[in-house]
Amino acid sequence: MAGVDVGGGGSGRRRSLDSEINMIPFIDLLMVTISFLLITAVWSHMSRINADAQVPGPPRPDQEQEKIDPEKILHVEMRSPEKFTLIWKAGAQVVNSIEVARKDDIKEDKGKKLVRYPDLATMIEDQWKSTGSHRDASDKKLDQAVLHTDNETQYMYLIGVIDAIYQTHRKFTDVRSGKTEDVPAFNVTFAVN
Amino acid sequence: MTIGQPGRRLMHFVPLAFVRKKATGGGRRSTNSNLSLTSMIDFLIVVVVFLLMTFSASSETPPAKGLIIPQAENTLDMIDAPMVAINGSQILVDGAAAGNTHSIEDNKRLTRLDELFNILKGKREVWKQLHPGKEFPAVVVLQIDQDVPAVVVKSTFQTAAFAGYPNVSFMVNQLPRSH
Repeated sequence: MAGVDVGGGGSGRRRSLDSEINMIPFIDLLMVTISFLLITAVWSHMSRINADAQVPGPPRPDQEQEKIDPEKILHVEMRSPEKFTLIWKAGAQVVNSIEVARKDDIKEDKGKKLVRYPDLATMIEDQWKSTGSHRDASDKKLDQAVLHTDNETQYMYLIGVIDAIYQTHRKFTDVRSGKTEDVPAFNVTFAVN
Repeated sequence: MTIGQPGRRLMHFVPLAFVRKKATGGGRRSTNSNLSLTSMIDFLIVVVVFLLMTFSASSETPPAKGLIIPQAENTLDMIDAPMVAINGSQILVDGAAAGNTHSIEDNKRLTRLDELFNILKGKREVWKQLHPGKEFPAVVVLQIDQDVPAVVVKSTFQTAAFAGYPNVSFMVNQLPRSH
């Protein structure tokens, strides 16, 4: 029988301090624990990609509106199967526009598809570095990206483009806590037209 | 009774040559070997510790059955929020049926999903009653099948925003960042 002597040793007529730990129930317990943990383990880790509907607040007719210059917004046009068009607009005015060849990098694993656009991600990062409005680490606001797509495009391609937009990160320092962390440079929303 | 030399006894007296050969090892190295208990227990304890560390007590909401969630690299951690699942043409809110997408498929344009709108609005009102004085987080998580067309995604997105949930998150399978 497997056992472990826990030492000690008595003398005289007193009860011996020697005892054995029975290893068999101990190993059984470990096996049962491992089985339980393996069965209940979650191997696929779910996470989320954020998007903001940019719903305006209610109108305030009692307050006088200050005239604010419209911010630059990045419009990502993905209607064409051959190219993406990145357009920076301030209100209705086009600040700059650039085209990126569309190369769908699709990887499939047991029916799950991963769509990636590395060229688009690199170009968006370059564009943000040159044209983005909120690049300072102390700036709470994020630059806005608007995704334009047709109605037939499959969801996985939308996620591929949103993933490429979120690849651009910047530093953000919280003034209160003084902590600096990496945050996405853009906030994504959909064009509804 | 004579005292015999200690040693192996099992199957040594079976009057069959091949059994005796097997039992004695047949001159070859014995197939029996001792298992080191210490290293085995060490291994088991390491496995238990690893599994306990990766164990999540809060049950992670799995995607609805038959729904294939797309994969992405640049993601955020999941949050506790109403879960809207779109599988084929069926819409579920926290596992309960909330209409279908037939109206969008027929129109082929952005359409407000009334049943989904009413359920989400009801959930928002319940949350506000349960948490008076607190700011409503306005977050909803969409579990959408990878092959669903964009018009359905945009319609659901817009319906959620109209129902008071402008912060929409898309559930994805997390992949390690490659850059």
